[in-house]
Amino acid sequence: MKVLVTGSNGFLGRALVGRLLAHGVADIRCLIRQDSYRTRFDPADRQALDFMVGNLLSRDDAKRSIEGVDVICHLAASLKGSPADMFLNTVVASNNLLGAIARCSPVPKTVLVSSMGVYGVADLPAGSLIDENAPVEPHPEKRDVYSHAKWRQEKLFRDFAERHSIPLTVLRPGVIYGPGGSPFSARVGLSLFGLFLYMGGSSELPLTYVENCAEAIALASLSDDATGRTYNVVDDNPPTAKQYFRRYRKEVRAIPYVRIPYAGMVLVSRLVQGYNRRSHGQLPAVFTPYKTRSIWKGFHFTNSELKRMGWRQIVSSEEGLARTLAYLKDNFQGGAH
Amino acid sequence: MTKSAGRLKAAIVGCGKIADGHVEEIQKLDNATVAAVCDREMLMAEQLAARYGIAAHYDDFGHMLREIRPDVVHITTPPQSHLALAKQAIEAGCHAYVEKPFTVDLREAKELIAFAESANRKVTVGHSFAYDPISVGMRRLIGKGVLGEPVHVECYLGYNLSGPFGLALLGDPGHWVHQLPGKLFQNNLDHILHKIMEFIPDENPYVHALGFVRRDGRFGDGRDDMPDELRVLIAGRKTTGYATFSSHAMPVRHFMRLYGTKNTLSLDYVARTIALDQAEKYPSAIGRLLPAFASSKEYFREGVRNVFRFARSDFQFFAGMQELFRRFYRSILEDTPPPIPYAEIIRIGAVMDEVISQVEKGGSRT
Repeated sequence: MKVLVTGSNGFLGRALVGRLLAHGVADIRCLIRQDSYRTRFDPADRQALDFMVGNLLSRDDAKRSIEGVDVICHLAASLKGSPADMFLNTVVASNNLLGAIARCSPVPKTVLVSSMGVYGVADLPAGSLIDENAPVEPHPEKRDVYSHAKWRQEKLFRDFAERHSIPLTVLRPGVIYGPGGSPFSARVGLSLFGLFLYMGGSSELPLTYVENCAEAIALASLSDDATGRTYNVVDDNPPTAKQYFRRYRKEVRAIPYVRIPYAGMVLVSRLVQGYNRRSHGQLPAVFTPYKTRSIWKGFHFTNSELKRMGWRQIVSSEEGLARTLAYLKDNFQGGAH
Repeated sequence: MTKSAGRLKAAIVGCGKIADGHVEEIQKLDNATVAAVCDREMLMAEQLAARYGIAAHYDDFGHMLREIRPDVVHITTPPQSHLALAKQAIEAGCHAYVEKPFTVDLREAKELIAFAESANRKVTVGHSFAYDPISVGMRRLIGKGVLGEPVHVECYLGYNLSGPFGLALLGDPGHWVHQLPGKLFQNNLDHILHKIMEFIPDENPYVHALGFVRRDGRFGDGRDDMPDELRVLIAGRKTTGYATFSSHAMPVRHFMRLYGTKNTLSLDYVARTIALDQAEKYPSAIGRLLPAFASSKEYFREGVRNVFRFARSDFQFFAGMQELFRRFYRSILEDTPPPIPYAEIIRIGAVMDEVISQVEKGGSRT
């Protein structure tokens, strides 16, 4: 069985390659944008991997990348940049890949790594349980650009899957963390002008340790039962924002912060949005009431569907946190986080 | 057409990064509306329309022109397509705002201007810094006679190859910037040249250009050959100009220094300040002691002025772009000449061609 991994040199992609190898998948094609990126992989694994230099913005590269492939794990997406670039690299790149998949015979099994950001939770009551039946975002344009792009990407995959009978599995990870990842999700807070605005409070963080998330993708790619299904990817017993932030301050560094409770954030976001409108966009609407309700209202997340597929957490939440915080402490470079 | 009602129907073709700025600034004007956007990649048109609440989006330019019948089309596609799209828009009866660089070369620029004139349509180029509050303020001071006659002008433009634009073009060997004759320089040089050429009225000034690659190669393809440092000397009969484009000097800055026969003006396009450097009024050591305080006073005054501008919501990032839109739209509605004279577009195009030619022929060292 040959598996294509797009976004293979990223934080999650490298972990997925490791998990696929651990599951005995011997034939893995890694799509990388630059030849030099192959050095980012474990030297022991490098020999076993089939590296292909290409860019999904090229339809020819997209077609080439899936030739002879049985399973596609699509991880490639843009995490930062201008809105246009994020849509280009997440949505248009996906469209090119899907165009190539649709012309394949037989059509390869496809696993899309989407995001929990596609859920439309702003109008759900605080404390709601977010499972795979939670509503999809009705107003993606009101969310951050990343969530909007991931929402459009997932819709594109579902539309193509229906029209071209693509065997599709959709995984919706929460916040992927681990050594080398970002220290803070926006669900904990944001750094602004050197001060950390801590807004998460007692909200549960839908964390998934990078290897646990990679394990979920690997299992989904190998399981026939997963086809046609959608899975939240979140670890067991995730910490609250408060627990994570306390441990970060204790074990990494005591950053200066201002705590803004949820009610305060609702007020602040109204003021920020109002000012943005009155000033004709002189300052960006970093906070809006809609984003605040979506991110910091406080929800619970479940991984019960994922467990039914056979997924088990390979790194405990405690161990994952300990490794991540130790890494952040060892790699702290003044002001980097 | 909405033009008769004193309100213009605008459309945008090319939904990349700069299109956001165009939509935002048009939506702030009270005499225009963005009726539709178009990109040959429908998903890109869709995302722009969704984020800004625009009613229609297309992936076929001709289809959009026929259905929407815009008064003015903003062309924000890669420069290689500017001529063809602008001509198509003009043929459909539209006026055209063309992002910089206007066209790929001078020949195309002349062709487009002649085409617009023969069709009695207006066209302009996105030299938005010419209408930045700083440039407008500079002209006001020059009008008051504080500068005297211009002697020399220096322009500096920093570029961040690690920023969103830089990463996009370095991340893709097929990026349209790599296909331009002047590559990265051609996409940015307008910002410098129109400022310098404002003070060099000569038809054919002397141009000497040096471009080179400063960074180490890391891709093993054409991206490694893209020059990233440029120096240009431009000399007219009475005024000279010097342009620096740097992708490495930090911090990334954008400024201009205008030397006159009476005084010198320093313009900072990032901090939005204009400072007047006046001749010493006092002799000896006192004359050397006071200028630092005079400069401090100038910058303090500018800082306070900016605070008031901010308080009035008059400190917008694309202020120059909005002012250029406003003037171009007014020229359409009142049927007056467009804000940037065609002769200026052609003169700047000629210097751009000369710079690119010299860099290509060996002004470039690698």
